[in-house]
Amino acid sequence: MLASIIASGLAIGAVYALIGIVYNTMFSASRVMSFTAGQVGMLGGVLGALFILRLGLPSIVGFAVTLLACAAIGVITELIAVRPVLSKLDQHLYVLSTLALALMIQQVTAIKWSTEPQPFPRLLGIGNGDPLDEKFWLPLLACAAVVIGLELLYRHTLVGRAFLAIAEDNFAARALGLPERNLRMASFALAGMIGGIAGFASGELLLAFFANGAMLNFYGFVPVALGGLGNNRGALVGGLALGLFQQAANFIFGGVFAGVAVFIVFIVALLAAPQGLFGATTARRV
Amino acid sequence: MRVTRRRFTAGSINTLGLATAGLARPALAQNAPILIGWMGALTGPLAAPSIGFQRGTDWVVQQINGAGGIKGRKIEIVARDTQGDPTKAVNATQELIARQKVHAIWGPPNSGESLATTPIMARAKMPNLHPCVVNALIDPEKYPNAFRLAPSNNQWDDAVRNYCLHVLKIRDVAIFGDSTGYGTSAVKDSVAGFTKDNAKIVYSGVIDPNQLDVTPDLLRMRDAGAKVLVCWSVTTGLNSRILNARAAIGWDVPIVGHPALGTGEVGKLVDKPTNWANVYMVGYRSCSFGADGKLPARSQEFVDRVKGKIELADSVLWWVMVAIDAINLIGQSVGETGSTEAEAFIRHFNTLNQYPGLFGDYSFSPQQHNGYPTEEVVMSAANSQRDGAYALAPGYA
Amino acid sequence: MATEVDSMADAAAPVQRGWAAGALHGPGQFLLILIFAVALPFTANDYWTLIGTRAAIYWVLVSGLNLAVGFGGQLAIGYVALLTLGAYTASILVLGNLGPPWPALAALAASGVVGAIAGVIVGLPALRLRTFYFAMTTLGFATIVTQIALAWQSVTGGGIGVPGPVLPKPFDGTLGFYFFCLVAAGLCTWMTANIAHSRFGRSLLAIRDAEVAAESAGISKPGLLISVFLFSGAVAGIAGALFATLQSYITPDAFTFDLTVLFFIAILIGGRGSIIGPLLGTIILTVLPEFAAPLVAWSTFLYALLLLVIVLAIPGGIADLLDFANRKPLESNRAIVPRPALLAELLNHGSAQETIALRGVALSFGGVHAVDGLDLEIRPRQVHGLIGPNGSGKTTTLNVISGYNSPEAGSIVFGAHDLAHGAPQTRAGLGIARTFQTPRLIGEASVLQNVMIGGTIDGTATFAESLLRLPRHRRDEKALRDEAMAALRAVGLEALAPVRADRLQHSELRFMEIARALMLRPLFLLLDEPAAGLSTDEIQRLGELIKQISRCGTGVLLVEHHADLIFDICDHVTVLNLGKELASGTPADIRAHKEVVSAYLGA
Repeated sequence: MLASIIASGLAIGAVYALIGIVYNTMFSASRVMSFTAGQVGMLGGVLGALFILRLGLPSIVGFAVTLLACAAIGVITELIAVRPVLSKLDQHLYVLSTLALALMIQQVTAIKWSTEPQPFPRLLGIGNGDPLDEKFWLPLLACAAVVIGLELLYRHTLVGRAFLAIAEDNFAARALGLPERNLRMASFALAGMIGGIAGFASGELLLAFFANGAMLNFYGFVPVALGGLGNNRGALVGGLALGLFQQAANFIFGGVFAGVAVFIVFIVALLAAPQGLFGATTARRV
Repeated sequence: MRVTRRRFTAGSINTLGLATAGLARPALAQNAPILIGWMGALTGPLAAPSIGFQRGTDWVVQQINGAGGIKGRKIEIVARDTQGDPTKAVNATQELIARQKVHAIWGPPNSGESLATTPIMARAKMPNLHPCVVNALIDPEKYPNAFRLAPSNNQWDDAVRNYCLHVLKIRDVAIFGDSTGYGTSAVKDSVAGFTKDNAKIVYSGVIDPNQLDVTPDLLRMRDAGAKVLVCWSVTTGLNSRILNARAAIGWDVPIVGHPALGTGEVGKLVDKPTNWANVYMVGYRSCSFGADGKLPARSQEFVDRVKGKIELADSVLWWVMVAIDAINLIGQSVGETGSTEAEAFIRHFNTLNQYPGLFGDYSFSPQQHNGYPTEEVVMSAANSQRDGAYALAPGYA
Repeated sequence: MATEVDSMADAAAPVQRGWAAGALHGPGQFLLILIFAVALPFTANDYWTLIGTRAAIYWVLVSGLNLAVGFGGQLAIGYVALLTLGAYTASILVLGNLGPPWPALAALAASGVVGAIAGVIVGLPALRLRTFYFAMTTLGFATIVTQIALAWQSVTGGGIGVPGPVLPKPFDGTLGFYFFCLVAAGLCTWMTANIAHSRFGRSLLAIRDAEVAAESAGISKPGLLISVFLFSGAVAGIAGALFATLQSYITPDAFTFDLTVLFFIAILIGGRGSIIGPLLGTIILTVLPEFAAPLVAWSTFLYALLLLVIVLAIPGGIADLLDFANRKPLESNRAIVPRPALLAELLNHGSAQETIALRGVALSFGGVHAVDGLDLEIRPRQVHGLIGPNGSGKTTTLNVISGYNSPEAGSIVFGAHDLAHGAPQTRAGLGIARTFQTPRLIGEASVLQNVMIGGTIDGTATFAESLLRLPRHRRDEKALRDEAMAALRAVGLEALAPVRADRLQHSELRFMEIARALMLRPLFLLLDEPAAGLSTDEIQRLGELIKQISRCGTGVLLVEHHADLIFDICDHVTVLNLGKELASGTPADIRAHKEVVSAYLGA
């Protein structure tokens, strides 16, 4: 019993952490929090099922095409919902523009795909529903791969360093001659891909279901809020903790109260530490 | 004409377009059409049943009008898509009553919308036939205009309990549902019923429909000593996870419950076809194959007749049949009474005794507006769907 | 609904018309809607009366939400929670699931109270959290409320729900209920328009568009937002009770996320900072789906698309389209001609003795010493210049005094007292005013309204008094308007008073900011590069104005790059370098200071 709570808690926690990283990646490049973060996660699952089960592509090709499509959604987010309102960042219009785009993505999926959860292909065929089943450890594996990949990217590549420079201070970065706009688009493409990985890796667990987007939007935001904006390590720890807490609460309190418990803990924690438990700096205002 | 889901959507839009044109009609003209308002969730997440109802509705209207109508009057359906949203349903009801001036209303089927629209129709004394199972909807005192063609949730509940206690002869039950509006209240009613019958309820609770892994919940039920699981979940994802988790922990316990356990969508999500075995859902004698693989005569005749004309494979037979019964009942009333006045319908429905419909024999009286016979409600094998019908669960004569 | 019935038919009245874009265009447009609304049930069938009732109920909620979202910029996207709560409160009380059954009207009032309390609970995180975070917490609340409605079966009926309340005669019929809701909607329009036209409405716009300016004007965000959330929560709760009555039966699934989206779009389509716009938006969005029935499957998608288009293409909404007054071209070659002589009307600190003294103030950002042990004294009746190269700590010094930055060491003494560190909203009350390097303004509000914000703390009427337009509110408004006009005359912008502030030229905005600062009758005025972007003529006039301000007794701290202006009007000059004082003395002393001349003045 404990083993299966831990297995599913860590698995879903890894997905939350990945969506948290999607939020962070988008934020670092643009100072914008986007409601499409959860939707790319949802699309990772839906598109994976579409390409592999419905169109019959081999898994690896389906995976690649899914990532490309999610990257495209990231770029579309940047072009449509972020870039036009960047100049009015202090009016927070991005909250509404990204919410609108997220709703549109969700609605198109509901109508064109299905409003019922659809099966996701069995990728490796390891395990039979026990706590060591692939559906539980694939998200963890994906999460580890993304975290390590991002570290390598940021530390060892020129593009990665440019990302960091933009995240640190985009005015200064622009002054240094960095192509801020292109880097921002690249960041959103990267964020879309990370969301795609999250959705694809968790497809067997979450199924290809249009409503996963809204769910991931919220639960993926919790680790960001708790871990500190832009802090991927915070998101990782926060995501895994949330997953475990949620699964344990589900088991202990049962359906309805577990949801309430998670929300209350989130709101209280956020009010106690608005910058997140791992801290973040405040911007200069005047 | 072969009626498919796609064509139906197009058809309903067409009906809407015509209806909103708002032709002025003389209310009592000798050959003025009989206007029947029909509303349901034709699109959106709750649409599956209404699409079935729509197929039956359209087919029977075609039949009646093709045969010259009722006493020379054609039937005209004014369809409204509520998406199952109570707000839209309230607007649509008022529109059907005040603007379209329909003579009777068929639907809506979903619980939230029916609960909201029933008092409004009662206020307008609008004759209403509906297929919604919520117990509270039928109250001849408060809603003398409302008649139920489907079983009530109590009848479902009785069938499930009867099957567990008297057919399977198991008294150690675990009762659960999803944490949706329907699930929470169904679990409550079910627990009350089993308690009344002195069954041993070893576990009861609701499960979040988004719960990823229900293994812990199932283990808990098993440890509590459950010998049968009563499931009141309408969520496809949750139902399939329960079936898969049951297989994963190697527990061959029967699952008995809501018809949603038997939808094709659940079938797509089970890891192995065998995971779907030993699962029994609420069904109806009129829509159940016997051991000979045949439906009861009346139903078999109908299915043969509409073969290729109504798509049944991706729907449920009773949805189609009850819709046909609803329109027929309204038409028959006009035929008998010659009137489309509200009182005439209500008076006529109240006299029906074992009216032979496709789905069942309906009986109403001024005191009883639950028209569906309880003994018709049986259990079916969830994994046995064929053309919208299911095989009788083992143990029935 | 007629909100423009203003007792003051004096000279300032025409000026009032141009205020926050579209917030009000005279009572005419409201009256037209009212006439149409009253006539509706007599010209159409019950169906349209029902749609009208629905629009009225939604407007009761949206009118309150409009203050929080449209005016205050607080994106409470989970607002449907309050509708749910109000609906359940009224239904449960009338049904008698909690104690003995209540009369329907008492239950309606109780919904308002519960809504108000919940409004504050939902809204309070706004004080601590950034926008997106706040939006998410409100979504969390919405989920919690639905979950509780599902779980608390004995009271809420769980998924089966509860019947809605039925109002007593004569409000139980279709027509009676319609007029009941219409009166409620009318009252809400009137009250929110009153707030829009009060210092509270202006303060809300200020915290939305120019939060730092709001702080320097002494606007208390917590107090303001609590009042607004109390009010908007109360009307949302009442709207919920009316919604339950209209629906006749409520279940948790009646309160969809689509409703919240609809409320938001109604406000945005109408235009933020407007009353008539969101009112029209609400009506349109309630009626539109009835004409577009075949599109119902795509309704959420279309709403979202509409939201996106509005945000991107017409952020001003309907109100902008209706704002004819502000489409007339302004005179192109207008000159700002301040009248320093009029300053005496506003400022009279002839005998003021207090000084602001900085002692050993130090502050660093990420290891860089922005201010490093600075001593400085600003005296009344003097212009104190602060110059130095970029990054020498001028603006930081100004921010430390006005409370935006907290020094890590040292003290700031005002008269006999230490100034609280890092508390910018306390400065206005002490008579310390400032302007900003980049003008902070509410673009959609008129110049007059922008200036009136400076005098917010002089208001005496409470939120409730303004809501009901009681005498004290009217006195406040008259006094503030008169004073703002006086300030505008002094800086030479009175002709532009009714114009939308975002239509002004940059130089005019600098003078507008000074007028706003003057509303405080400041003992000290801190100016952050007021001459940047001004022409030579304008700089000269600015100099005279500043000089005259100091002659009226106000101490001025002038951070500036224009050396000419500094040497022209300053009584004392401090030169900063790397956060330290390089030199200090009269302009003549500084001109003679070798280091300064070689390092900075470059002569």
